[in-house]
Amino acid sequence: MAGRIKTHPILGAQNEGKRVVTFTYDGKEMQGYEGEPIAAALKANGVMVHRYTMKQHKPRGIFCAIGRCTDCVMVVDGEPNVRTCMTPLAEGMDVRTQYGVSDKPFDRQ
Amino acid sequence: MKIERFDLIIVGAGPSGLSAAIEAAKRGMNVVVFDENARPGGQLFKQIHKFFGSKEHKAKIRGFHIGEQLLKEANEAGVKVELNATVIGLYQDREVVVRMGDEVHHFKGDAVIIATGAAENMVLFDGWNLPGVMGAGAAQTLMNLYGVKPGDRILMLGSGNVGLVVSFQLIQCGCDVVALVDAAPKIGGYGVHAAKVARTGVPFYLSHTIKKVEGDDHVTGVTIGQVDDHFQFIEGSDKHFDVDTVCVAVGLSPMSQLLKMAGCRMEDNPKRGGQVPVVGEYGETSVPGIFSAGDVSGIEEASSAMIEGRMSGVVAAEYLGYMTAEEKDAELEKLEASLDSLRQGMFAPKNRGKNITETEEGIDISTNLLKKGYVADDEIERFPGVVHKAGLHPVLECTQNIPCNPCQDACTRGCISIGDNITSLPISVTDSTCVNCGMCVASCPGQAIFLVNEDAGDGSATITLPYEFMPLPDTGSKGKALGRDGSVVCDAEVVQVRSGKAFDGTSLLTIKVPKEYAMKARFFKAAV
Repeated sequence: MAGRIKTHPILGAQNEGKRVVTFTYDGKEMQGYEGEPIAAALKANGVMVHRYTMKQHKPRGIFCAIGRCTDCVMVVDGEPNVRTCMTPLAEGMDVRTQYGVSDKPFDRQ
Repeated sequence: MKIERFDLIIVGAGPSGLSAAIEAAKRGMNVVVFDENARPGGQLFKQIHKFFGSKEHKAKIRGFHIGEQLLKEANEAGVKVELNATVIGLYQDREVVVRMGDEVHHFKGDAVIIATGAAENMVLFDGWNLPGVMGAGAAQTLMNLYGVKPGDRILMLGSGNVGLVVSFQLIQCGCDVVALVDAAPKIGGYGVHAAKVARTGVPFYLSHTIKKVEGDDHVTGVTIGQVDDHFQFIEGSDKHFDVDTVCVAVGLSPMSQLLKMAGCRMEDNPKRGGQVPVVGEYGETSVPGIFSAGDVSGIEEASSAMIEGRMSGVVAAEYLGYMTAEEKDAELEKLEASLDSLRQGMFAPKNRGKNITETEEGIDISTNLLKKGYVADDEIERFPGVVHKAGLHPVLECTQNIPCNPCQDACTRGCISIGDNITSLPISVTDSTCVNCGMCVASCPGQAIFLVNEDAGDGSATITLPYEFMPLPDTGSKGKALGRDGSVVCDAEVVQVRSGKAFDGTSLLTIKVPKEYAMKARFFKAAV
């Protein structure tokens, strides 16, 4: 599912020379490129669900990818409602699925 | 409270905002551009196709290269671009409030240009907000800016230029586009954009729309259905596709909130894409000193946004006394002529919603092109770019009047003629000699030009076609030739592969096929 484009017919080699960083997604270690949006790194790792809505607990993921829709918000380094499509990935980031506005699943809230 | 002052404040560092900034800065104005993004250029850096138009519109140059040129020009003119700076308010007397990091800063501009662009529209269907459903622009952002595949198997909803271009780009980055769907009875975008998708084998479903997207936590499938003239589903017409991603390209809406906030007179204008400011010819709003440029005042495209931006920059410069009225008029005259030539042809803003059935030359438009995405074999012969003659010659499968003429400039041998009217269909000139340079094939933004030799000896024909996919086949590769509709027409062998700087990323494949398929084979698929 999804994954990285290594060489693009028009754009050439992708993400060449960029620093690989390690971050965690719900506690699980993943890798991405420093400075790319968190959402891009998650997509490349096959993550689809970024959050569950407050009232109806419906899953949401990347939708607009330009910071308009807020569907992709997650809990990043303890802060909820971080737009992952606009926020650059950094070494050691703690990225968590957002349930309502919490990183705790609804049955534990 | 500290308020910093500028001659001109521009909101949005996309094609129009940067263009406006360049013109103003060149006249000695103290200009700042605010943009909420981490990089400038707006959507230009996601545009990897070659642009339409003529030389003055930077035709046949890819969007991201135009973005690079624009940034260079802005730097040279001394434009200051503040990134990660979100304008959150536009108040009385042109006070601009900007959030930068965790701080809010106040600025005042003697003039303000709003160039905030547009955002994607959405349609509601069952499952429209399930992870895996995304805007076509979102897919473009992921694949063209960050090198991430948006999905593996994708259905595209929307046959406007965005839906068509993004479908092609998805195929370029290795995704499988299973269908292109539109509720409208006719393809909305350029026929040439549709044709280059169709010939790879993507089926088009016009008068169809999404009924339901399936999946618990994310998309696993989609069901489409046919609609009648009133856009109601026709019973028993359901078609199901296993997909992991659905892209939606159903138009754009201007992001005009700041203009409304500033008290500019607004109108709801469907032809311009929704809520837009009421503006003069050069983007003057009803509030003195506030101007708009680009998609925010009416959805068009990057080429026209850049000209509009330059116009509003010039008008703002004259408004503040940085140039005389005569100088302004002289500049505007040039820009107007350039914009006017882009706004010609079947897809011009003035023709939106009109049912055009024949070309300017009086030739019936291909109905297959409008419904299925390709010109049928029995329709192609009636267009002036399609001729038969001995030896190699260009076959120009350009069948709609769009403002574009790089092919005419590309050929130094006089094989291609458009004339002075930029929207005329290109003519393949019979009385000329093609030297097989390939420049026309590579320069056509619609990838609609083929070099054909109908009789290359041994009962075979050769066809040179544009190719922008990976992996690039090697000379000697065997496979199948596909027709305009993407179906297999015959066996084919690659006899030449050309790539080069002059072709700007487009490779030229020459394939050999039995000669009876010379006018049918239009794509190559290597044997797996």
